Amino acid sequence: MGRYILSRLLQSIPVLILVSVISFGLMKLVPGDPAILIGGPTATPAELDNIRQNLGLDQPFHVQMWRYYAGLVRGDLGTSLLLGKPVLEATLERVPVSLSIAVYSMVLTLLIGLTCGIIAALNRGTWIDQASMVFALIGVSLPNFWLGLMLIVLLSVHLGWLPTGGYVPWQTDVVGWFKTTTMPAVSLALLQVGLLARITRSTMLEVLRQDYIRTARAKGLPEFIVIAKHAFRNVMIPVVTVIGVIFSVLISGSVVVESVFSVPGIGSLLGSAVLRRDYPMIQGGLLLVAASLLMLNLIVDVLYAYFDPRVRYDNRR
Amino acid sequence: MSRAGNTRIGACFLTVSAIALWPGVTAAQGFTCPKTGGNMVFAQEAKVNSLDQMTSATISTRNVAMNMFESLMTRDENMNPIPELAQEVIESPDGLTYTFKLRDGVKFHNGKPMTTEDVVASFDRYKKVGIDRGILDIVEKWEATDAQTFVIRLKAPQPTFLENLSSFSVPVVIIPKENADAAAMQLKSVGTGPWEFVEFVADSHVKLKRFDGYKPDTRYKDIDGFGGYKVACLDTVTFRIVTEAGARVAGLETGEFLGAEDVPAKSQPTLKNNANIVLKPLQNFWVQIAIPNLSAPPTDNLKVRQAIQAALDMEEIMEAATDGAFRLNIGMQYPGQAFYTEAGKETYNQKNADKAKKLLAEGGYKGEKVTLLTNKDYSNMYTAALVMSEQLKAVGINAELLVLDWPASVQKQQNKADVGWNFFFTGYGTNTSLGGVAAMRFHAPPFNTYRPKGDIPDAEFVTFFDQITNGKTLDERKAAFSRAQQRMLDQVLAVPFGTLTKVQAVRTTVENFRPFRIPRMSNVWLKN
Repeated sequence: MGRYILSRLLQSIPVLILVSVISFGLMKLVPGDPAILIGGPTATPAELDNIRQNLGLDQPFHVQMWRYYAGLVRGDLGTSLLLGKPVLEATLERVPVSLSIAVYSMVLTLLIGLTCGIIAALNRGTWIDQASMVFALIGVSLPNFWLGLMLIVLLSVHLGWLPTGGYVPWQTDVVGWFKTTTMPAVSLALLQVGLLARITRSTMLEVLRQDYIRTARAKGLPEFIVIAKHAFRNVMIPVVTVIGVIFSVLISGSVVVESVFSVPGIGSLLGSAVLRRDYPMIQGGLLLVAASLLMLNLIVDVLYAYFDPRVRYDNRR
Repeated sequence: MSRAGNTRIGACFLTVSAIALWPGVTAAQGFTCPKTGGNMVFAQEAKVNSLDQMTSATISTRNVAMNMFESLMTRDENMNPIPELAQEVIESPDGLTYTFKLRDGVKFHNGKPMTTEDVVASFDRYKKVGIDRGILDIVEKWEATDAQTFVIRLKAPQPTFLENLSSFSVPVVIIPKENADAAAMQLKSVGTGPWEFVEFVADSHVKLKRFDGYKPDTRYKDIDGFGGYKVACLDTVTFRIVTEAGARVAGLETGEFLGAEDVPAKSQPTLKNNANIVLKPLQNFWVQIAIPNLSAPPTDNLKVRQAIQAALDMEEIMEAATDGAFRLNIGMQYPGQAFYTEAGKETYNQKNADKAKKLLAEGGYKGEKVTLLTNKDYSNMYTAALVMSEQLKAVGINAELLVLDWPASVQKQQNKADVGWNFFFTGYGTNTSLGGVAAMRFHAPPFNTYRPKGDIPDAEFVTFFDQITNGKTLDERKAAFSRAQQRMLDQVLAVPFGTLTKVQAVRTTVENFRPFRIPRMSNVWLKN
């Protein structure tokens, strides 16, 4: 296993290099000048030149590229043009925000998605099945922008239970954290619940048709044990893949949800960087997100071995 | 808003012949807070990039930073230049030297008294990294002759020098000498204003607290524009970044925010009926405008431009673009401003289809495409372009929209070689409010937004602009402005539609919040 992990880590290096090349090249091709955004559309040419000079954007393409890669080798992702702080620092300070909301949202997704999917499969063809799938469909179909605003209107304006937005770190105030992250987590989770519930349902239906389930039932095992011990573990093999994808979506943040709830997370950081053509922030942010997704994929692959004893990554037989 | 000293000092400044433009005056009984304490949470629409007021021209930076920083000179409620950290400003008879005496007892947020060493260091940094450092090109040198006297010597007389120096667009804010080596965007938020910095979490909030060492400017009785007698009545102010308009309104309704900016027009009827909320409209926030490309056919043809101008119904465009939050306005200044003029009135809001068709025929228009370059980042610019395109189609013009995002549209417009557009949609806010020179500078060299054919600007306009900048008296400069505006509209160098009203709102517990170009937190108190 250790050799497998090492090999996967080495394989990720060319992927990250490719991501950096593509992001650097793309940002130079996309029209839009950060100097104009800082100086405003009515800035004079001299003012714009001053800004470009301040930001190092007056340098030729190859010089900028050389500086970027020289920085990368030293572990320096550059400095955000607009925030004026190192990209690594700006991104890392958003990680706890996005991670905590992603974990909260993931817990909700797993609880609701798995439950809905399993209940629907066990009650196939009944109204319970249909109700669960309609709920899942609604979750997938609702635009999270609209859902977020509706949650604000209901839970903040009418009921007064939760603040309209913002973020309180859990280290400062756990209740405040819970209050500020609930609506973003629910908005993000409902979108993913539908996906997870549908996959869980179809996988569960497939598993329930297997011989070993029939055997377990024939042995007279209680239905709960059949489902929890024999079916559930096998359902989790394909579901883990989906969970990995869902978590990667949640952790890279949702620009829309973070914007609606004024959450200073990674999604909002990268979204603003794109809109404001903050090249170093976009390049560095994408690189860090790519690295975290590669790690996540590795974790998912390792988890396969836990859920399916047939999966072994060592070459030795 | 009343001023304790000479009430005509603004006018005095503009006549320039006076020697002591702002002589020291006696102290007056200034504003006192009826109540102190509390935290004002204000929901701001735009994200703050940086609080370095010397290197950011964005409104979002200014909203916060101008509560912390101060300058030698600033602008009053009517945008006239007034002294702020300068106690006295003396102009030499030859117009080449300006001597600033500093106010006594001014301290920085770090507790250090402000001296001319700090002023020199601030000007040095501004010259190095300040975005608008071009205003100092006319300066031969600056120096401190003693701890309280700062002298600026010009290379040549420039009657509008103090007008430029008092600009709040990217002001020369005074910072402690020890912070002056900071690179662009890296300035520590230490100023002399009534509010001092507590924390800045990007995309989340900026928190300020009362600066207990602040010494109000006793020449005034109350806050006046960016200057005046300022007092921090609140304990703290939190600017929350809330980009979503619906969330700003919801937070205002729940009381989570005590104030908010950019209240959408659609929410205003509901908020008006809410007894706990007061709307604070700020008229004339910007001039909604379209800039023609004079290098691209068919808008390189004056008759075609005049036909387009004749076809437009400004009321319809502004109504749609602003959801009714607008005023019809001729030209580049607002009523009440010193340079306001109705010159060119006959060209504005003509909605004359017959005249438009006649001019098109005279100009030999043969159905060439007229591309309106706009964006959806600012919905009012998009809607203005959409309505204008329909009005142009109605008179037989082959109009089409080109919608890019804001950065891409600005870059396309500024690319001199690009003739793939005919009108660019934007808003002129800060510079219009700053007065004559700033409002017209976009059409005089060096220009960014103006695309004259062959890069040769309109000679008559440039002559008038030179007179606006260098005319010896205010009357001379005002007359030149009037002629420049007439020329601009006659030649259709710009198509101003009207002015946009920006609506701010506060809870009724907030007292004395007066809408201005930034949310001013001084002299504001909470009832409960």
